[in-house]
Amino acid sequence: MNFAETLALVWRKDMRIELRSKDTLVTLVLFALVMTMVFTFGFANDPQTNLRVFPSVLWANVLFCGTLGVGRTFAREARDGAFTALVLSPAHRGAILAAKTLVNLFLTLVVTALTTPILAVMLRVDLSDVAGLISAQLFLGAAGFALVGTPLAVMAVNARFAEVLLPMVVFPLVAPVLIAGVTGTASILGTIPEQDPRPWFQLMIGFDLVYLVGGQFLFDRMVTE
Amino acid sequence: MNLRLALVALCTVGVVAGHWLVFDFAPIEARMGVVQKIFYFHVPSAMACYAGFIACCIGSLAYLWSRKGRWDALALAGAELGLIFGLIVLVTGPLWARPAWGVWWKWEPRLTSMALLVLMFAAYWVLHTFGGTGEGVRRFAAALAVFATPNIYFVHVAVEKWKGMHPEIEDKAGSGLSPDMRIAFLASMAALMLLFALLLEQRYRMHLHARLVGALRRRIHRLGGDV
Repeated sequence: MNFAETLALVWRKDMRIELRSKDTLVTLVLFALVMTMVFTFGFANDPQTNLRVFPSVLWANVLFCGTLGVGRTFAREARDGAFTALVLSPAHRGAILAAKTLVNLFLTLVVTALTTPILAVMLRVDLSDVAGLISAQLFLGAAGFALVGTPLAVMAVNARFAEVLLPMVVFPLVAPVLIAGVTGTASILGTIPEQDPRPWFQLMIGFDLVYLVGGQFLFDRMVTE
Repeated sequence: MNLRLALVALCTVGVVAGHWLVFDFAPIEARMGVVQKIFYFHVPSAMACYAGFIACCIGSLAYLWSRKGRWDALALAGAELGLIFGLIVLVTGPLWARPAWGVWWKWEPRLTSMALLVLMFAAYWVLHTFGGTGEGVRRFAAALAVFATPNIYFVHVAVEKWKGMHPEIEDKAGSGLSPDMRIAFLASMAALMLLFALLLEQRYRMHLHARLVGALRRRIHRLGGDV
């Protein structure tokens, strides 16, 4: 079985389980809505303040939902030795990682696509002119998050306190993406003097590429049978 | 053994002499006053911190490839020392910043990068120490350390760009040293790096021995003995 076949197989398996139970997706969407409410209560003020806090709220939402989602990556495999079976199978481990990353990215994107408009409405920020740019940015940011978070989620299988440790491990690592996201969104919305979001796009693309290659390179060595 | 004793003696002399040079020999800086003396500890600590994290990265990489426990011990020792010296940097920094800049903390590129770096390796340390003792955890922690390495670059770029928008007054603490200050600085640096190397070796051996004791204990247990 080659790389693409394994990838497709694992992706189909995970998506089928997810679409049948919908547990991760529903939980994430509800969590994101609650976060949106919390932020709105915390900040909602005059339109000027709302516009200023919007980038931070948006990216905090992506960060929290992303972490929750990533933490569930291997939750199903953690039981009944399923992870061992997956790793022991002759399947290419990089392909397993790639499929898991894509599932995570997909879930994060769905949740973000659902909650970003709600957030914009609640904070009364008009995104209609910049929707394309912000979407591109959210995609790159969510990709960076999935690329860093997914290989690290293996921890859930063999470490104690994994649910506490994972965010602690992931947050500092995705700090560059977060900085690029918040500042880039702010520059697109025009709330900071620097109006050019291009360097932030470059940073995110570079980050995504490095961790795309790095994950493939390391994953094989970091999992134990 | 004798070499180590000699090095410990040298280090002791170096640290004492370094303190004398810093506090008595080097002149008091005209503009900042006595606060500038923090610089003699702050910068060498930052170097030791970097050295510790580099040791951690090298050890982790070698462990992932060779799977020999001693590399993991080196990585853990490096992370521990890097964290200790990193904390010294993060404590002495604000102590210096308050009189020099008027604030305890500033989101200045170097400060921010250092704080994030320390957080990353703190995560490594916590994982390694509390995550369990299996090989899976060790392997994972090693991968994490390797994973964090390119991040140092990204953090640096991101933070620099992020703050580059608001021009800040750069501190020139390192550039304008008088010859006497330079001597004190170099002596302090040498003493601290030697201390770092000795501590690293000590911690490394300690981890190796701890592992050996653990393995022996398990063996005795298997043979039905009591420890």
